[in-house]
Amino acid sequence: MTEETTPGLSALLAESSIRLDLTAIDQEDAIRQTGAALLEAGAIDASYIDAMLERERSVSTFVGEGVAIPHGTLAGKDSVKNDALVVLRFPDGVDWDGNDVRVCVGIAARGNGHIALLSQLAIVLLDPDKAAALRAATTSTEVYELLKPDPEDVDGA
Amino acid sequence: MPERTVTVASSVGLHARPASLFSQAAATVGVPVTLTSAAGKTVNAASILGVLSLGIGHGEVVTLKADGDEAETALDSLAELLNTDLDKE
Repeated sequence: MTEETTPGLSALLAESSIRLDLTAIDQEDAIRQTGAALLEAGAIDASYIDAMLERERSVSTFVGEGVAIPHGTLAGKDSVKNDALVVLRFPDGVDWDGNDVRVCVGIAARGNGHIALLSQLAIVLLDPDKAAALRAATTSTEVYELLKPDPEDVDGA
Repeated sequence: MPERTVTVASSVGLHARPASLFSQAAATVGVPVTLTSAAGKTVNAASILGVLSLGIGHGEVVTLKADGDEAETALDSLAELLNTDLDKE
């Protein structure tokens, strides 16, 4: 319905919200750091972080390829002020219920904007080379290059 | 090949939580199941990244297909899941 007007992945991702050399003592710490980055980006009220933890207890946001996408519950949507993404990389990995997570993509979205965002991120992660590059990224430029929609992807030939 | 056409009931579409529950269920039915969006793109229903990549919204009509002995049962259970609002707390 609103696909054409949905901003692209990198447009929602401030350079200050890309943090590539972090450590977390456990999953909850990683989610809290992801929430703190969204808070600093001005995207959420602090109560959204509790909604993120609640969501994770309900269903894991691990999506494969060493990536988790922490986000709030539906009820936590009122705590979202602006749609935004943050990318946090934990080079040493975080134990995510037995899965090894290297990258957390934190999501704050009102309405249905996040469906398009998740779709775009999933397309990136379905490409094993791009997923590996995202796990290994050390500069924000690399992250932007990876998450930028690639017009050449449209042409399969 | 048996198939079901289903309208996605989850109020926020087939995104993280509903997509996760759906793909987990699809992985346990015992037969390979595909999910096709209204736009005609087909993915493995058991792959959460595949399901997420379709960007399916509330009310979108999707098609499930499966083959094999358990196909009918598998499709019935997965279709019922999509007919449920999976994002209810």
